[in-house]
Amino acid sequence: MNSNLSDPALWSRIQFGFTLTYHYLFPQLTMGLAWFLVYWKWRALRTGDEKYNQAARFWAKIFGLNFAVGVVTGIPMEFQFGTNWAAFTRYAGGVIGQTLAMESMFAFFLESAFIGALIWGEKRLGPRYHFLAAVGVALGSWLSGFFILVTNAFMQHPAGYQVQSDGSLGIVSASAFLLNPWAWVQYLHNQMAALVTGSFVVAGIGAFYTLRKLHPAQARLYLQAGTLTALVASVLVAFPAGDQQAKMVGRYQPVTLAGMEGRFQGGGDAGVAVIGQPNVAAHRLDNPIEVPGALSFLAYGTFQSFVHGLDEYPVEDWPDNLELLYYSFHLMITLGTIFILLMGYAAFQRWRGRLETSTWLLWVLMLALPFPYIANTVGWMTTELGRQPWLVYGLFRTRDGYSKVVSGGDTIFTLIGFVGLYFVLGVLFLLLAGRQIGQGPEGTLVADPPAEPVPGAAQLAPVNGKESLV
Amino acid sequence: MIATWYAVVSLMLVLYVVLDGRNFGAGMLQRFVARTPDERRQVIASIGPLWSWHEVWLVGFGGTLVAVFPRLVASAFAGYYLALMLILWGLILRGISIEVRGHINDPLWQGFWDFIFAFANFLLAVLFGAAAGNLVRGVPLDSAGNFSMAFFTDFMTRGYVGLLDWYTVSVAVFTVAVLAAHGASYLTLKTEGPVHDRCAQWAKRLWMAVVPLFVAISLESWKVRPSLAEDAVGRPLCWIGLLLIIAAAYALFSGLTKGLEGRAVVGSNLLLIGLLVTGSAAFFPVMLYSTLAPQNSLTAYSLASGSKSLLLASFWWPVGFVLAAIYFVFISRRYVGKVSVARDNQGYY
Repeated sequence: MNSNLSDPALWSRIQFGFTLTYHYLFPQLTMGLAWFLVYWKWRALRTGDEKYNQAARFWAKIFGLNFAVGVVTGIPMEFQFGTNWAAFTRYAGGVIGQTLAMESMFAFFLESAFIGALIWGEKRLGPRYHFLAAVGVALGSWLSGFFILVTNAFMQHPAGYQVQSDGSLGIVSASAFLLNPWAWVQYLHNQMAALVTGSFVVAGIGAFYTLRKLHPAQARLYLQAGTLTALVASVLVAFPAGDQQAKMVGRYQPVTLAGMEGRFQGGGDAGVAVIGQPNVAAHRLDNPIEVPGALSFLAYGTFQSFVHGLDEYPVEDWPDNLELLYYSFHLMITLGTIFILLMGYAAFQRWRGRLETSTWLLWVLMLALPFPYIANTVGWMTTELGRQPWLVYGLFRTRDGYSKVVSGGDTIFTLIGFVGLYFVLGVLFLLLAGRQIGQGPEGTLVADPPAEPVPGAAQLAPVNGKESLV
Repeated sequence: MIATWYAVVSLMLVLYVVLDGRNFGAGMLQRFVARTPDERRQVIASIGPLWSWHEVWLVGFGGTLVAVFPRLVASAFAGYYLALMLILWGLILRGISIEVRGHINDPLWQGFWDFIFAFANFLLAVLFGAAAGNLVRGVPLDSAGNFSMAFFTDFMTRGYVGLLDWYTVSVAVFTVAVLAAHGASYLTLKTEGPVHDRCAQWAKRLWMAVVPLFVAISLESWKVRPSLAEDAVGRPLCWIGLLLIIAAAYALFSGLTKGLEGRAVVGSNLLLIGLLVTGSAAFFPVMLYSTLAPQNSLTAYSLASGSKSLLLASFWWPVGFVLAAIYFVFISRRYVGKVSVARDNQGYY
């Protein structure tokens, strides 16, 4: 890869990285929030308690807005395989196209068929079908994640393929391709991470309402469901999912593991750096403070296990941006640890009955809201930077994958277009989600009868035997 | 096997055009058929809850293309780089405008997004129309199966052509007219009151305008790529497509004049199906035609994935399609009938 500003491979990487990173800010909340909606619709169905419907209605609106940005930013992802990565599509399209197409056929149709029903059709559908719509959307969004992770797993650890006579890849074993162990471990890791985002957002908004002394019944619901789910998901994302994922990187991409830890020299008793900066020019980690033996133990099971170092591999096979890979990985680990501690403490406070009165904890929960997004982003940066310099690990290099007929300048131009358009989308999302949160869940209140007559209460009229706002 | 997959991706494209074509048409016409805020909302509510479901057919079409014709995606998407990016941006603007317009109940806000919505739909109709024109006319494919082209060159249809020339522009005009008419017919079915009456009038006018345009496009296509018409004559599917177009024309005109809205919508759908069936049957097996040299043209056989990949896809694709059909039946039964802003006043459409 040259350093020329018009290098098409570089700009295609930046464009894909930008559009994908931005896009994934939205599906992670969709996937995380989906099961909250299912849970609340189910509770509403079972108990008839209107507060659950109210919660579902409020979060369905946030969900819908989030979903819309996810849809419009997702479509360019699929098309960029052809526009910017034509050589890669020609090489691997017969394999990765399978899961891209399956995602549309099995996940998107399900999800988009029921999203309208979920957000728009509560009255037309009735409670039972409306619950089913929530299930359909949740299943669809999680299936979508599955197919994307199978696609990514193939690029990380190719399985079930053969090189055909024309040099391109074809499938020989559908089961090996779909049951790629990398996919399943990564799927668990990723879905739990999405659940972390969803539950932190729910808990964060609950904390905000509690601090503002607004919507107390709803705030309690969000706070309790959010912190409990966040604790479970934060633990699962690390153990077993993250742990297994790291072991798999150690087994199949040892040079990546060395890059993630900034290890230039191989050896036993390898530590995990808590602090340290990779100094690539000098082939060492500057001012390292390490937990001795931890990396040997985590990756290979004993404190003495040999962990490979970068110097054992030719430089052309090293991940091509070691510093960014190292910082991404360490930031992810650090945030993940903080999440477990924070939510563990929240669970402890809840057990003591102080979850809603501990002001500083509520502040931390509210301000923690953006951090799972950062953790998810740097996690994916670790995965994707770690895969470099390969597009399909060990088979096909990134610098061979871009579209030869598209110039670097064209790509810079379209990248700027995406940045501008996505900036507008971001502003719109924050504005409208902020308004939604500001209006609160009580705009659709029917649960708690007002203590005294409120003007406009006459607007409440029975629909389908239940009260709801006309 | 390869012919079947050619038919499958054509089917997905047909479904996409028929379904999302309603949104394009409704979007372009909204300003003309709806005047008050309530009327505009009626138009949006007719398409709102289902637009993303319709758009998924495009995503499904794209994904299936990558799986079964990866080399087509590689050549065509890279070759149409800037035009395709405009399509992507148009799709983003279209999706976001219909989603955010209802969040703030303010005439300036909604007027702005309605304008963006109309503009994006118009842009998309023009670009998709030009793309269809490009498929007929061909692209400057070199012997390695690559091309890249300017937006326009000398507006001629031979040699180093651009995205736009006299022929593709006229196909774009035709497409805008057909999709607007298609949308108007659908809105007639879904709306009531003054919006309904205006839509019925627009549908009549637009379909009348489509007739001479259709004749012109047919003659032009014959001139631009004479071999296409010769191939078409010998293919039964092309004749079936033509019969569909004739049946559609009858259903449309009787439906519109007698006020049978359902029949007009069926006619409108059939017309798009007939056009696309005739076209794709006549093209086969060529998927990308070269304006430089016929031997550079890319056929379904040279573009397809390996046989095992195709075999795997033929296991899961029918399952996915049947599931999609089930969802379709479920949701269309839920949304049958006229939209009523008062009754469906939930959410933001």
